[in-house]
Amino acid sequence: METAAHNQDTELVSRILGGEDDAFRLLVERHSRSLYRAAYRIVGNAADADDVVQETFLRAYRSLSRFDARASFTTWVHRIAINCSLDLIDSRKRRGHHASEEDDLAALVSSAATPDRVALGAEMQRAIDSAMRELSGNERTAFVLRHFEGMPLEEIGEILGTRLNATKNTVFRAVKKLREQLQPFTGSLV
Amino acid sequence: MNQHLSQEELILAYYGETTSTHLETCESCQAELGRLAAVLDRVTLVDVPEPGDDYEARVWNRLEWRLRGEKKRERNGWMKWAAIAAVIVIAFAGGLLWNRRTTPETPHVIATNTAPSNPMPSNPGATNTDSEPSTAATASSNPDVIQVAAHVPPQQQTPRQPQTARPQDAPRDRILLLVVGEHMDQSERMLVELTNLTPSENDGFDIKTERAKAEELLASNRLYRRTALDRGEENVATLLNELEPMLMQIAHAPDEMTADELRTIQKRVETKGLVFKLRVVRADVSRKTVKQANEPTT
Repeated sequence: METAAHNQDTELVSRILGGEDDAFRLLVERHSRSLYRAAYRIVGNAADADDVVQETFLRAYRSLSRFDARASFTTWVHRIAINCSLDLIDSRKRRGHHASEEDDLAALVSSAATPDRVALGAEMQRAIDSAMRELSGNERTAFVLRHFEGMPLEEIGEILGTRLNATKNTVFRAVKKLREQLQPFTGSLV
Repeated sequence: MNQHLSQEELILAYYGETTSTHLETCESCQAELGRLAAVLDRVTLVDVPEPGDDYEARVWNRLEWRLRGEKKRERNGWMKWAAIAAVIVIAFAGGLLWNRRTTPETPHVIATNTAPSNPMPSNPGATNTDSEPSTAATASSNPDVIQVAAHVPPQQQTPRQPQTARPQDAPRDRILLLVVGEHMDQSERMLVELTNLTPSENDGFDIKTERAKAEELLASNRLYRRTALDRGEENVATLLNELEPMLMQIAHAPDEMTADELRTIQKRVETKGLVFKLRVVRADVSRKTVKQANEPTT
C-alpha cells in the first residue's frame, strides 16, 4: 500500500518536472489534509496550519527538482511542513507574539469538552499547556510527531534532520519535562 | 537479562519502539511502565478539527494563484534580463546618436584617427590646432570616435533634450513601449494583489511574494523611467516617477506586515489611483505599439 502511494507520488513528481504542471494539483490533493493535521498539532490553530500548508507546497514546488525520487515524498513534504511550522513559531517568538502562542496552545489543549477532558480538570489542562510551552521547538515537534502522529523515531529524525540517537534524546527530554510538570497532578497515579 | 529497564527504555517501550522480554516477566518494570503510561496517557490534545470536505480544493485555489505568480516569475526571469538588455542597448544607441548630433564639429583628429587609410597620423598635434588640448591628447592616445566624443567638455554640450521622433527610431521606440507595457502590467498586477488582501487584526500578513516582486520592479522602473524621459515619452516617465516611491515602500517593507501597515499601503495605492493610471497609460502604450507596428518603415 505504502509502496503504491510512494510510486504514485514519484510518478507525479516526474510528470511535474516534465512540464505537466497539473500533476502538482494531484500532489496537493493527496497530501494537504495530512499536512494540515501535522501543522495544526504544532502551531495549534487552523489559520496558521492553513498558512503552513500553503508555504509548504510553495517551498516544495520551488525545490521539487532537488527531490530524490528514491526517498518518500510524504516524508519529504512533511519535513518541509514541520520546518515551516517551526519557522512560524520562531517568527512569532521574535515578534513577541507570546500571548498569541499561549492562546493557541490553550485552545489546542482545552477547546474540546470531551468526557476525558472534563475529568482531567482545569488545573491539569493548565499544567499540560504550561508543560508544552516549556518544550523547545524541536522537542515539541518530536513529541507531537511521536505521541500524537505515531510517527516512528527514525522518520522523525529524518524530518528534524537529526540522527536516531539525537531524536530519541529529544523525545526523552520532552517526556521528562512533561512528566516533571505533570507530577503534582498524577501523583496518586505515579 | 535481569537488569531493569532505564527510563529511556521504558519510554521506547511505551511507544512500541522496542520489545523487551525482561519487561514481560519483571513486575517492577511493568509497574514503572504503568506509572509512565499514567502520565503520558493524560497528555491528550484535542483532535484536530476537520478542515471540511472541500479542504483540498480550497488549498489548491489559494495555492494556484501563488503558483501562477511563481511560474510567471520563472518565465519572466530571462525576459526581464532580455528587456533590460534591450533598454540598455536602446539607451546606449540613443546616446551615441545624440552625441553625434550634438557634438560640435569634432576635431579633425577624429577623422584622421578613424580613417582606415591613415591609422597613425604622422603629426597629430598639427591636425589638432583648433581643438581643446585635453581632447587632442585623448584622441591621439585612443583612436576611438566614441571616446573622443565623450570627452567633449561640458560647456560645449547642449542641454539634454528629449529626442524628436525620427523614422529610424521607430523600432527602438517600439521595443521600449513593449517592455514598458509589460513592466506596467506586472506592476499593476502586484498592486492589485496587494490591495486585494483583507486586513484583519490577527497576525502579520505574509507579503514576501509582493515584496520580492516590488524589489524586482523597482530596479527596472528606474531604467525605464530614464529611458522614457530620453525618448520623450513624458506620460510614461511621469507615471513611472509616481510609481517608484510606491515600489520602494513595498520593496523595503518587512516580509510580514501588520494589518495597520497593510492598510496604510493599500490606502496610498488607492489615493494615488495608481492601478487606474497604470491601466490607462498601459492601454495608451499598447495602442502606440500597435500603431507603430502598422506604420510602414521609411
